[in-house]
Amino acid sequence: MTSFDLVEPRSLEEAFRYLDPSDPAIRPFGGGTALMLMIKAQMYKPQRLVSLGRLGGRFSGISFDANACRIGAMTRFATLEHSPEIAARLPVITEAMKTLANVRVRNVATVGGNLGHADPHLDLPPIWLVLDAKVTVVNRGGERVLPVADIFSGYYETTLGNDELIAEVEVPVRQGWRSKYVKVTTRATHDWPALGLAISVQIDGHLIKDLRIVLSAAVDFPRRLLGAEAVLRGAAIDEPLLQRAGEAAAEEADMESDSRGTGDYKRHLLRAHLRRAVLALAAE
Amino acid sequence: MTSFRNIDRSVPRLEGREKVTGKAEYVHHLRLPGMLYGKIFRSTVPHGRIKHIDVSAAAAVEGVYRVVTIDDIRTIIPHPYYGPAFHDQPVLADGKVRFAGEPVAVVIATDRRVAEEAAGLITAEYEELPAVFDEVEAMTSDVIVHDELKPAATFPDLQHLKGRSGTNVALDYKLRRGDVDAGFAAADRIFEHTFRNQQVMHTPLEPFVTVAEPGDGRMTLHTASQGPSFVRIEIARLLGWPENRVRVKVPFLGGGFGGKLYIKLEALVASLALLVQCPVKISLTMEEQFFMVTRHPCTVRIKSGVNNDGKIVARRCDVIWNGGAYADIGPRVTQKAGFTSAGPYDIENVSIDSYAVYTNRPPAGALRGFGAPQTAWAYETHMDMIADALGMDQIEFRRKNLLREGREQATGTPMRDAALDAVLDQVSTRMAWSEPVDRGTGRIRRGRGIAVGFKGITAPTTSVAMVNCYADGSCALYIGTVDMGQGSDTVMAQIAAEVLEIDAESIRVIHSDTDVTPYDMGTLGSRSTFHMGTAVLLAAKDAKNKIAELARELSLPPGNNLPLPELFRRKYGMQAGNIIGTGSFIPDYEKPEKDTGRSTKATPFWGVGASGAEVEVDTETGHFTVTKLVNVADVGVPLNPKLVQVQLSGAAIMQLGFTLTEEMIFSEGQLTNGSFADYKIPTLLDLPAEFINECVESRQNDGPFGAKGAGETSTIALSPAIGNALADAIGIRLTDLPLTPEKVFKALSDAKRLWSAGG
Ligand SMILES: Cc1cc2nc3c(=O)[nH]c(=O)nc-3n(C[C@H](O)[C@H](O)[C@H](O)COP(=O)(O)OP(=O)(O)OC[C@H]3O[C@@H](n4cnc5c(N)ncnc54)[C@H](O)[C@@H]3O)c2cc1C
Repeated sequence: MTSFDLVEPRSLEEAFRYLDPSDPAIRPFGGGTALMLMIKAQMYKPQRLVSLGRLGGRFSGISFDANACRIGAMTRFATLEHSPEIAARLPVITEAMKTLANVRVRNVATVGGNLGHADPHLDLPPIWLVLDAKVTVVNRGGERVLPVADIFSGYYETTLGNDELIAEVEVPVRQGWRSKYVKVTTRATHDWPALGLAISVQIDGHLIKDLRIVLSAAVDFPRRLLGAEAVLRGAAIDEPLLQRAGEAAAEEADMESDSRGTGDYKRHLLRAHLRRAVLALAAE
Repeated sequence: MTSFRNIDRSVPRLEGREKVTGKAEYVHHLRLPGMLYGKIFRSTVPHGRIKHIDVSAAAAVEGVYRVVTIDDIRTIIPHPYYGPAFHDQPVLADGKVRFAGEPVAVVIATDRRVAEEAAGLITAEYEELPAVFDEVEAMTSDVIVHDELKPAATFPDLQHLKGRSGTNVALDYKLRRGDVDAGFAAADRIFEHTFRNQQVMHTPLEPFVTVAEPGDGRMTLHTASQGPSFVRIEIARLLGWPENRVRVKVPFLGGGFGGKLYIKLEALVASLALLVQCPVKISLTMEEQFFMVTRHPCTVRIKSGVNNDGKIVARRCDVIWNGGAYADIGPRVTQKAGFTSAGPYDIENVSIDSYAVYTNRPPAGALRGFGAPQTAWAYETHMDMIADALGMDQIEFRRKNLLREGREQATGTPMRDAALDAVLDQVSTRMAWSEPVDRGTGRIRRGRGIAVGFKGITAPTTSVAMVNCYADGSCALYIGTVDMGQGSDTVMAQIAAEVLEIDAESIRVIHSDTDVTPYDMGTLGSRSTFHMGTAVLLAAKDAKNKIAELARELSLPPGNNLPLPELFRRKYGMQAGNIIGTGSFIPDYEKPEKDTGRSTKATPFWGVGASGAEVEVDTETGHFTVTKLVNVADVGVPLNPKLVQVQLSGAAIMQLGFTLTEEMIFSEGQLTNGSFADYKIPTLLDLPAEFINECVESRQNDGPFGAKGAGETSTIALSPAIGNALADAIGIRLTDLPLTPEKVFKALSDAKRLWSAGG
């Protein structure tokens, strides 16, 4: 590891002076938990890291209004974990924190860095997708708002320019929806998921009025399972329906074998856990 | 019953405070003035001839002092090959590489990160050779890993070692008792099964690290080693120096588990320091540990002849140990775990063949249990399969065949102070074995299993201890036993203190420094409490005798209570002088007879343990949880009950990882999960809800205060107990470790027993 500069701009304007659209050796720095590992493993050799820690403003804080929750990109996981408002209105996030990394990482890792890292095994991205969250991305020219899903373009790849910054995440607070995230591990309890499954439903008795299903970890980047959604949307929950939904999910998800399991096994797990998750949500 | 002041007392660890306050010394923290850092460049092919190594780009990096290959090492060590059983391992690859990850060159730089960056710029070209990875294939393969075998002849128990040249067999150990073929012919039923153990790793939290400090015709090594005396002998041999020119110092160790034995980084770092005439340090990363030393993958074929009444009359075991590219101490594992591979049973006709073979994998050596857990996985799963076939209760079947006190084990060594019955009984009680089990009917199934096992102890080995009483009456203990977290400082102080009639807390234990502390074979194989403990006992008695002698010399009446400082003052006229007691211990041993493996004294004592497990299986996904785990050990008299308890639970957690989650996975000889993101050791979250670790009342009559070793006992029977519980729950046997959810799923779906909703 040769030396590099770490700069801590206090304004966006200053930050953009440091960032460079064409130089991959210059990167924004959130909590650094992902970057430092890549640097130590010599997978990434930076020349300059631009810390977003002093930007403040829209990059920090959590706020709610009637319809939405706004989360600054520099919000630490520990802040999400301990926020009573998040626990009350977006409990799926609070729940996910219980098995996400460890206390040291949660104290440092940020919401923006987590998205920027684009590792398909991360727990929060599928949750943002299932909650239908949007991100605001700022750049020299202004800003753009896009669905979280549109950030990811491949395995560890994003659609963000090298000098674009994730500023905040906006999550709609949808009345009558319930969500669940299942981290399916196949080795030790504390492990990267073999597959991550996030489900949001709007249920009336046994009738699924609307829903979103997102699969992560076993695929290149988190993606919705539209086929399984279509089977379940507007239908009443019973065994044959759940079986059909499971088949549809297994069919549309292109899952590769890795050290966490063969593709076949993951498809089987997907069927089983999808069924269980829908039943659990219906029983809530 | 005598009452003790220090024995059977949970003396808190002497170093506990130092450790939790971050003040304990580790080599990891050591920085010497002018010290340089080495970084290893490793082979990317599993077997190949080195055509060319290009170090020019690395050498040109600013801050790089020198780049070293085997040619440079040769200027320091003319025959740069080491190893405890064979001198087969080159200090750096010599013309050939034998596993992917083997050290090929080293960059020495003023900074660790610079060295790392420069090492990344080295390139090597290989002529790739066909490779062999599987131990069974290696037995007959045309691929030969070593063209020439070079026995080391260091240890008395391995002196007959020659290997079979022209093959990959480094050692074949044979045991013959009775007539096994006649036994099979006469038996009512025959059972034969094959079992496999995967490759796993020690994972000490402190990775391997060595600092070498050259002096004027001298060399000091600060190294994370479990065997400083061996390091000194082997480094002196390599350099052609007398032992007194090599000094090996070991502070605390952050775990060793058998990995940090014999020579690891020491020969390399010593050569580098002599080449550049500066102190040099190499610290491996966590990930590099996978390429240093591992535990043997092992295939066991086991065949038993059994009568309908449940009596085993004959057993044959073929055990093949995958030693990887270099033998390390594998031949000894092959022999020691070989001779117990038929299990703790009284069988008239036994035939054992145990082979250490070379393959193109990272080398394997000693790891907690020293082979016993691999063989127990086989014989204890086999036992349950037989019991099931005979329709006998698993515990009853074992009781019927168990080796009883005084009976001869397969080698001919009589069982003494081995509480096999007692551990099995206690597990049975803790598991409430006589009560019915609710196995469940739906998706969730439950089951329980038990297993019992034993191990022989490495022999013959020597320990020497010294007790030094200073002029003010305070005492220090000089020992080569390395406290690597097991609490040996505390226990050794307890033994010395008991003899000297003082409190263990007041004794200072001087850590391994071969210029200061006397010889010890190594902190390995559960031997320290028994061997070093006895040496300490003798040293303390010697000191006590010398104190009595001094009193006599001063014409004091016998039974006088004059304190030691006063004795010194009367003798020397001031606060001055020492009393030094020494003790040395080597147990009786009889080398196994070459053709039959027979020996009447094959082991100084027996490690004895039993385990019981309950599991809960999700028969839709194959996920299962060990809900209860019981480990019962015979440790003789527990000198420090708390430390014994922690040894038993620690060893059990380690073996739990080897049973459920840990496996080094290779593709064409390349390790594919060489990081802790993908090689999963258990965390607290993986511990069973009910986790019982205890020992039975027993006594090792020739052990210090009745004690024997406790560091490995709970590893032996744990895996088969869990496998047996799993089979009890789902009615299917898994024969290959680790027991993963996907394997359970696959077994269930092959047997069409997979639970499905609505199905
Ligand atoms: C020991 C350990 C265990 C872990 N376990 C888990 C786990 O169980 N579950 C899980 O989900 N994750 C886990 N993680 C991963 C963790 O979630 C990520 O490392 C973390 O979210 C990254 O956030 P960061 O702020 O530290 O990112 P950084 O390291 O700062 O940045 C990561 C990437 O995002 C870019 N970036 C940072 N901020 C922004 C921004 N605002 N706009 C645009 N780009 C940006 C950086 O340039 C970099 O490319 C674990 C990590 C560790 C070290």
